[in-house]
Amino acid sequence: MTEKINGSIIGESCLKYVHPSGVTVFMLPMKGYSTVTAQFSVRFGSQDCRFRINGGEVITIPDGTAHYLEHKLFESEEKDAFALFAQTGASCNAGTSYDYTVYYFSCAENFAKNLEILLGFVQQPYFTPENVEKERGIIAQEITMYQDSPNWRVIMELLSGVYSENPIKADVAGTVESISEITDKMLYDVYNAFYNPANMYLCISGNFDPDEAVSVCEKCLNGRTPLELETVPFNEPREVAKKRTEISMPVSKPLFAAGFKRPDAYGAAALEDYIYYNIIFDVIFGDMSDFYTRMRDAGYLNDSFGDAVFKGRGYVMPYAVGESDDPDYVLSEMKKELKKFKADPPTREMFDRIKKATYGDCARAYGNVEAAAQTMTEAALDGLPPFSKLDAAASADYEKMLGKLAELDEENVCLSVIRPL
Amino acid sequence: MRPTYNETKGLIKIFERKQIGSGVWFNRITDSRFKINKISVGFYTAFDDNGGLSRADFALVPYCLTDCCEKYPDYKSLSMRFAELYGASISDNVTFAGNRRYTSIAISTLDDRYALDGEKLERESCELLIECIRRPLAADGAFDANLVRLMKTELIDAIDSIINDKRSLAVRRAALTAFVGEPQEYSVNGTHEEAEKVTPQSAYAAYRHMLEHGHIEIFAVGCSDFSESEKLLTEAFGSIDRRDICELCAEPSVLKKVPADVTERMPMQQAVTRMYFKAPEMTDRYANMLFSMILGGMTTSRFFENIREKQSLCYYCSSFSDRLKRTLVANAGIEPQNVKRTQDAIINELNNIRENGVTDEELRKAKLEVMNDIKSLYDNVGSIGGWYLGQVTDGVFLSPEDYAEQIMAVTAERIREVSRLYTLDTVYTLCPEEVSND
Repeated sequence: MTEKINGSIIGESCLKYVHPSGVTVFMLPMKGYSTVTAQFSVRFGSQDCRFRINGGEVITIPDGTAHYLEHKLFESEEKDAFALFAQTGASCNAGTSYDYTVYYFSCAENFAKNLEILLGFVQQPYFTPENVEKERGIIAQEITMYQDSPNWRVIMELLSGVYSENPIKADVAGTVESISEITDKMLYDVYNAFYNPANMYLCISGNFDPDEAVSVCEKCLNGRTPLELETVPFNEPREVAKKRTEISMPVSKPLFAAGFKRPDAYGAAALEDYIYYNIIFDVIFGDMSDFYTRMRDAGYLNDSFGDAVFKGRGYVMPYAVGESDDPDYVLSEMKKELKKFKADPPTREMFDRIKKATYGDCARAYGNVEAAAQTMTEAALDGLPPFSKLDAAASADYEKMLGKLAELDEENVCLSVIRPL
Repeated sequence: MRPTYNETKGLIKIFERKQIGSGVWFNRITDSRFKINKISVGFYTAFDDNGGLSRADFALVPYCLTDCCEKYPDYKSLSMRFAELYGASISDNVTFAGNRRYTSIAISTLDDRYALDGEKLERESCELLIECIRRPLAADGAFDANLVRLMKTELIDAIDSIINDKRSLAVRRAALTAFVGEPQEYSVNGTHEEAEKVTPQSAYAAYRHMLEHGHIEIFAVGCSDFSESEKLLTEAFGSIDRRDICELCAEPSVLKKVPADVTERMPMQQAVTRMYFKAPEMTDRYANMLFSMILGGMTTSRFFENIREKQSLCYYCSSFSDRLKRTLVANAGIEPQNVKRTQDAIINELNNIRENGVTDEELRKAKLEVMNDIKSLYDNVGSIGGWYLGQVTDGVFLSPEDYAEQIMAVTAERIREVSRLYTLDTVYTLCPEEVSND
């Protein structure tokens, strides 16, 4: 039984179907498009590293286990998933973040066959001591590659400075040392705990027949005995772990990232924070702000400067990144600017202008098959309706923005700096 | 004369091309599936024969044109205008197109249907793009001095920051050897020293050179019919007094008599190696495409299956082909002690195809993947626009379907023939310090 969900102001609508196994399916047929994307996601990411099953002992797994599992799930006893998709011409990949893992394909033909392959390989783990060992070198090279990226490192250092208990302070892929502890048995245990249908979502967008998708789900999704799974909560302090971190790398100019710590937030509350702090930071630090104009004219910032909101399950962190010869001065000016705006708030006109731009960004996702599927996946994992992000942007309210601005503690911030060697 | 819609066989209905001025072409791709509209204006210019202007002079032009204009004389006021257009975004790009420089400035906006207050977003964004390109902040033959001061800093920062990305750094450093004596030897942005010497007058001269001598390609892609934009763009670019228009040109890279092998070191953790193979005589672009994919361009490629999966040597090891340069590049990120082993493995895979050819199964998979990519082009404004733009240098506009037909006709034997045309030209490795490469 499918349920129709209307897509607010852009006139799209999507279908929701819950398979008896517990997998929730969202489908967005996009008229006139040539391709289709399907994302099969599980609410399991690198932050889920301490958990209990059926009320038992706390199990702690090494950093990087979710990512390792993602790599290994492509393997099977016969043909790996890449080889299976190569038979149909689809392109496939996967990704692991702090709070979820997603497996996906894009294709122009053979949709039903590709969906069968996707659902099949994600539900059929095949781990052996040999194939787990083989992957270790590949993942170690992936970790090392990121270690050489200052743009990546400046954010990793920031997260380790902002959070003291939250597992997102560690790299998604772990370290060369932590992944050395991962075994085939551990991967099976973790798979059985987290890859439970009730913890999984399938989001499909593009040119496809929803009835055909449902038929494939009925044929391929397996029922499983539900487990009582509990990720052990962590007691994250309100204050940042460190006010400042600094490392040296071969860079042309100091790189910095400044992250403002916010209280834990989930679901609709996290989405609300995400939309409002995007607007607030764009108003105060964005391209059309006095701050950016002044700092750029004075040579403290260049066009690499930008602001964003880092969001996942349980956390929302507005932040800014850029290059500057004096990152500490930039941060001190950012704090002053936040104080100034708290005392003398931005105009309604400015708010409306940025709100329009934010809405435009959200609406554009529905013009792209892959972006539409990704937007639905993120909403599903947050337990929210598929168009919630667009709706939140379109209904953003000036008075509420002022409240969010007042809530932000400009002193509860960490500065991460990468200095040239 | 380049082909127009009516002259070219096989073009699909959504693509239309017409000349709107001397050396100025308007390309329209209209498809109702899109929710956005994108208009780009691209200038092709030569690297020589431009009055002593430097690469940095030309590189600075898009910086100046996208930061402000006469009507919106600072970045803040221009950004406000973009925000009013629902977060319209302006983007610029300077790159190589064959042996020419391609400089483009593009604006994209939501379609009028999705405006909350009924704004005419396509027309207004086209007007804004024209304001930026045709009425910059300039007077008396020079860009505004303060604008150039700021933009020079940004250009210099961009040139210097290549060191931040080791893979990009390896690309740039390798080009000094792989393409010696060719336009691609040096960065399209020029050097730090050249950028220091740019003046408001020299940058403006480069701007005028682009307007008066550049080959101009305008692409309008989206769900609109762009009739209003076409009129505005024809007025803006069709009336310029233009002469000595740049001829498009692409030449194969010259193969060295003896392969070069360069290793450079810097503080880093992972080595990056790049191997350049050249085939100046190669003419079979379709077999070449499939050869590159089977060798290292897909997840079932020889490199992926044998070097990554079987030997666990690296996270990435791939190849791609630059058909205009007739050059195939293999690249990998590896542990420093595995550099030689990986390079040998890359050569082995290439030799294996030369000697034994590819299997029917490999050929079938590569064709399927190309067909999937071809069909996917239509779902993205940037992809379908990029497809036709990519053929400007060829002068023959193949529709994706025409291209697919040619791909499907490729045989394993043709791939083997192409593989035999390639010869190793350059090996470049960027390596961590203090590590033996033996």
